[in-house]
Amino acid sequence: MTEFTQEEKIKAALEAKFPGSVTNALVQRRNRVWLDLAPAALPEVLAWMKAEGFQYLSTVTGFDEGENLGACYHMNNNAMLVTVKVRTPRAKPEIPSILAVFPVAVSYEKELEDTLGIKVLGLPPGRRYPLAEDFPVGQYPLRKDWKTEDYLAQQAALLKSETK
Amino acid sequence: MAKITIPFGPQHPALKEPENFMLVLEGEQISGSTINLGYNHRGMEKAAESRTYIQNLYLIERVCGICSHSHTTTYITNVEELAKAEVPQRALAIRTLIAELERVHSHLLWLGVAGYEMGFETLFMYTWRDREQVLDCLELLSGNRVHYSINTIGGVRRDVSAEQKAEVLKRIKFLEGRTQYYIKLALEEPTIAARTADVGRLPPEVALERGAVGPTARASGIARDVRKDEPYLLYDKLDFKLITHNTNDVFGRLVVRALELVESYKMINQVINNLPEGPISVKVPMKIAPGEAVNHYEAPRGEDIHYLKSNGTDKPERLKVRAPTMANLQSVSYMLEGGWLADVPLVIAAIDPCMSCTDRAAVWDQKKGKMAVYGWEELRKLGIEHYKHRGIDFSKL
Repeated sequence: MTEFTQEEKIKAALEAKFPGSVTNALVQRRNRVWLDLAPAALPEVLAWMKAEGFQYLSTVTGFDEGENLGACYHMNNNAMLVTVKVRTPRAKPEIPSILAVFPVAVSYEKELEDTLGIKVLGLPPGRRYPLAEDFPVGQYPLRKDWKTEDYLAQQAALLKSETK
Repeated sequence: MAKITIPFGPQHPALKEPENFMLVLEGEQISGSTINLGYNHRGMEKAAESRTYIQNLYLIERVCGICSHSHTTTYITNVEELAKAEVPQRALAIRTLIAELERVHSHLLWLGVAGYEMGFETLFMYTWRDREQVLDCLELLSGNRVHYSINTIGGVRRDVSAEQKAEVLKRIKFLEGRTQYYIKLALEEPTIAARTADVGRLPPEVALERGAVGPTARASGIARDVRKDEPYLLYDKLDFKLITHNTNDVFGRLVVRALELVESYKMINQVINNLPEGPISVKVPMKIAPGEAVNHYEAPRGEDIHYLKSNGTDKPERLKVRAPTMANLQSVSYMLEGGWLADVPLVIAAIDPCMSCTDRAAVWDQKKGKMAVYGWEELRKLGIEHYKHRGIDFSKL
């Protein structure tokens, strides 16, 4: 693994700096590092990474794994992409907001709330994004148990009752 | 003076796409703005989960009408990485060729839109006429003007013949001449300077803080380009310059895009003249082993990033797309603040949000009271004849 010096360096630094919080760190290939993180440590770890040159948060990918919901934070220092993955139980999905570190993350965090129903603690209230204003509250389309067919059937029934 | 908040969009004549800007005005000056998005949310990420990898290729192509090649290339780079497929060099070269042609087409389109927004409609007419040359190149190579569908998992769908190479080079040579004229125009024309200098300012530290990408970031002096930072396709073998400018305004964004056109022509020439021999695609199995990949790509508007997770079936578990405009819109609200209401369309257009186009027109003949539908060839002929009368002869092309 000597060919990936930069990648190994950032991985080792993260593991040494945040023991216990950072787990399963992996150098996947050149310029790609993946790691799992305890949600509570998220703002602190991202702030440290930002100071270390990872100035861009490229995007946040929310996901549904069944038992857990979660989000991948794709950190970017232009060449290297470090994906920080946090998981939160489906029964009570909560992730701390990172707006203090990356103010630009506001639409990514709103997306987590809107499409996956992950509560982002510290996200100021406001207009919803990206779903339509009249999209039913409490439905989270990117969850695996949300089926497009059910939604369409529901909408068709609603439309029928309105036209009567 | 009292502050007034006015909505700008989602439906507004100056906007090409539905998005909403709430502008706080003090007289004619903007003192604050918020951007509301989501009017064009189509649920593609959810749709991708119920389609096979190959079907998704055509879905992803339609994320954007202009960066269609950018999105599919990012997507299949992920798929091929997960499938551990070795894509032939010739396929990578053809992808690079299409990518740069797409950049030329997009930047010329932007020059036109910028000209239009600043009231310089001649520039709009000129660049969109010249853009037809590059659209013709794309049609020649792929069979289509906008959604080229050249990519397939494991390679490309069409090879490039010697005649096609010659034809593309001929058109690029013409565009090189035209672009020199645009660069001269951008740098010397007083109307452009008056309309763009110091408009929509974005200092480097703000661009960095707000995560600006592509020409928007480069016009603020940030040397950020995925083609240089993490070369994909054949970019590590090509000789090109990373263009930056330090005026931090709409003028800088114009100069960066005009100069990038020259770099793209250079790359197109290099790729065509050194096209590697060999097959253009390899077979990739339908089912892909579980894994995760994330890749980025320098689209004409900036960094495009996709995340893909596979689960062992022929359909993806999760696909995430972040297009460059999403990253750049964060900078727009800063650019608008302190500016004038009249500059709003230009500032928004300066990050180059996208729009689509059509290739036929219906014309109502008032004298005869008849409707005539012009096809592509007839319209083109009409255009050429029209310019011939004005002393510009394109019939040699």
